Amino acid sequence: MNNIFKFAAGIFATLGFAWLAFVVGAGMQFGDLSPEAERLEDNGSRPEGVDLFPLALSGMAQQGAEDYLALGCMTCHTQQVRLVDSGFDVERGWGERPSMARDYVLQDHVMIGNTRIGPDLANLGLREHSDVWLHQHLFEPQSLVPESICPPSPFLYDVINGEAEGSMQVSSSEDDEVRHVFPSLRANRIVAYLQALKQNYELPEMSFVEDDSESVGNEVLAETDVVPASPRVLLAQQIDSGEKIYTNFGPGGGLCLTCHQASGLGVPGAFPPLAGSDWVLGDKDRLIKISMYGLTGEIEVNGVKYNNTMPPPGNPPGSLTDGQIADVLTYIRNAWGNSASPVSPSEVAAVRASVKGRDSMQMWTAVELSTNSKPEND
Amino acid sequence: MKDSSEKIIDKSGRIVLSFFVASAGLWLLAAALLAYLAAAKLTDPFFLAGYEFLTYGKVKIAQANAFVYGWGGNAIFATTLWVLARLSQAEIRGRAYLLFAGTLWNLGITFGLLGILDGHMNAHEMLEMPTAVWPVLFISYSIIAFLALVIHRSRKHSETIAPQWFILASLLWFPALFLIAWNGLEFNPARGTLQSVLSMWFGQSLIWLWLTPMALGIAYYIIPAIMGTAIDKYYLAIFGFWCIASLAPWSVVHHLEGGPVPIWIPAIGTVMSIAMIFPIAVASTNFHATAFKNIAKVWDSLPLRFVIFGTLSYTISSYIGVIFSLPAVAKLTQFSIINEFHFNQRVYGFFSMIIFGIVYHMLPKITGREIGKKAKTFHFWTSAFGVMMLLLAFLIGGLTHGVLAQQPSLDWASSVISSVKPYFLITKIAFVILGLSQLVFVINIWKVIFPNPFASLLDSSSESEGKSA
Repeated sequence: MNNIFKFAAGIFATLGFAWLAFVVGAGMQFGDLSPEAERLEDNGSRPEGVDLFPLALSGMAQQGAEDYLALGCMTCHTQQVRLVDSGFDVERGWGERPSMARDYVLQDHVMIGNTRIGPDLANLGLREHSDVWLHQHLFEPQSLVPESICPPSPFLYDVINGEAEGSMQVSSSEDDEVRHVFPSLRANRIVAYLQALKQNYELPEMSFVEDDSESVGNEVLAETDVVPASPRVLLAQQIDSGEKIYTNFGPGGGLCLTCHQASGLGVPGAFPPLAGSDWVLGDKDRLIKISMYGLTGEIEVNGVKYNNTMPPPGNPPGSLTDGQIADVLTYIRNAWGNSASPVSPSEVAAVRASVKGRDSMQMWTAVELSTNSKPEND
Repeated sequence: MKDSSEKIIDKSGRIVLSFFVASAGLWLLAAALLAYLAAAKLTDPFFLAGYEFLTYGKVKIAQANAFVYGWGGNAIFATTLWVLARLSQAEIRGRAYLLFAGTLWNLGITFGLLGILDGHMNAHEMLEMPTAVWPVLFISYSIIAFLALVIHRSRKHSETIAPQWFILASLLWFPALFLIAWNGLEFNPARGTLQSVLSMWFGQSLIWLWLTPMALGIAYYIIPAIMGTAIDKYYLAIFGFWCIASLAPWSVVHHLEGGPVPIWIPAIGTVMSIAMIFPIAVASTNFHATAFKNIAKVWDSLPLRFVIFGTLSYTISSYIGVIFSLPAVAKLTQFSIINEFHFNQRVYGFFSMIIFGIVYHMLPKITGREIGKKAKTFHFWTSAFGVMMLLLAFLIGGLTHGVLAQQPSLDWASSVISSVKPYFLITKIAFVILGLSQLVFVINIWKVIFPNPFASLLDSSSESEGKSA
């Protein structure tokens, strides 16, 4: 401590470790991410002829980003949708999925921000505001959202007398008088940038979070609804219902999402994946039993061993009905690229009868399940 | 003879230290004005809305930079030079270079803030001042830091003590942090959210590795100096120092919880934040066990009262900070105005209060003039009250903000933000009180540094004698 050079070496070393992790290590891990296809083939290769995301911003929008930065918008607005476990950003409708590092690789200034006095803007372009609405909001936010404390930016507009070609109407809460203004080039650039803010694509590492109010899942269903074959419709309905049970962690939900994640990939080392899992695609009997009583102890999924405890699914635990179990199992057997036969409520009822008398909190072990069930060729 | 050698040291720094303290004071007022403007704009969005150079976003950022680099930077230079000179029993040398570098630093910040207001902001936390001013700031900082190290190297006793470790570490960490961040953000700009990790890491480390150790070092110096007793359980100090050195650079990244970065980054930040309770406990034990042995003496000495307010604030709010780093809590508070609580608590309630203490302790020694007791007492009570009001408003307001933001059914503007508005109003009042308090502080230090030249003519000759002595 008494020699300044040794002392300096010591305090730079402690700083250096953090530098190694956050700059060098993090840089090696995700410093060279590049745009990617929404989904990869099973072997990890990129399908031919598909768009790569994120898309680059238009030149106009890129300049708008500079203006957004210069005006200090970032002080109050974040541009990041947090992970489902870390906040209710998706539920609030701020995005269809959590933001990923890859979403930002093409941006010159990454403005994820750290304070939300205003709403998150990561997906502002998806909220279907017209350009005029955004201009009016920039000119005076309070004319559209009376309670807003976003400062007006009248300096971005030229107020003119009377209407002219290319002008737009704005109103002011101060005097209710309608004014005609020309947006400046900067105002147009900012609006172009705001409209370009959207993470409306999936990435191999993150798919959309399905939600009751969101339209994405329903769009897929709407397409399948067109197919007249009734088993197909039934399957779609089962998948839709199962999805809700899977993602819901409120009362009556399945709580599946908590461990197996929205991506169905689980958490490496802790919770096994469902996507492509030999257990999920295999014997239905075992799956139904696990869905009733849970599972504990060591289990091997796709050759990888996991050792954890899965309490009986449902909130409260073990409360899923036969119909719910059938739906959620059908969903996980047909989501994330899985494709296997559906599970019907009667199948579930049959299994429930066969294990009648089992203590409701007695979880299965993998060994127990593999000894008293036969493999199914599906 | 000891006294006279100390007087020689104090005299050697008279002009330089006065320069830094006086500039720090002006920046403090600038920051207070900007803080008021920002708070006023939050309560009334139409306030000065027509001026493009005064948007809320710009004013808020300019305020933080004026506060940290203007007030904080100048105050750090003054106290570093003086405390190191006193502990080394060596004179302050290279005064012309110090004045030159100090002028550069202040000019750099002036242009930097004007640049922000003119729309040339950078997107990096606490590096928002335009790119062009940073080389100037770095060079001037290096000159000052070098000359401070020269003082330290010419010390009479080779043995070093806690205040020296903390102050030297703070002195050396800032340029290291800056070079790392500058390299990763400007020379070889990182892609995507790697930028965010680096900018967040710099912005938070600046508080934890530049301002914090400096204030702790001053507290380690001034408490025994005024109390006349040794630091209680001093043997713990070295453990506390190395804990901060090794944990703080890791702990700051917990602010990225749930964000678009690999999960291990916020996770490791959280773990290290929890581990930070050790150095916090050490500093708290050292300071408060010493101070509470003779609390009457602390109360009687205004500098010490400021310092102990600062160390208590450090302890309490650092523990609060640990709680807010836990993912379950961060989920609620992460993007709320709790961030303002953290910033103001660290930079105001802790760092600035300790700086006020040392300035009141140091200025009479270097100028030979006392500051009026009434003014100091007024400054203490208004600061203490203003800070508590500000911090409570940001804390309670932040919790309200965070909890309501987590109710997806509540409309953003009409429910969430409307519920926080009353707290913005309280912070505005608090900033007025604090501004008044700081005005009194600055007027008084300026009066001591630049005495009224006519006072000696009008008054008796006694004061001018005191000046020249």
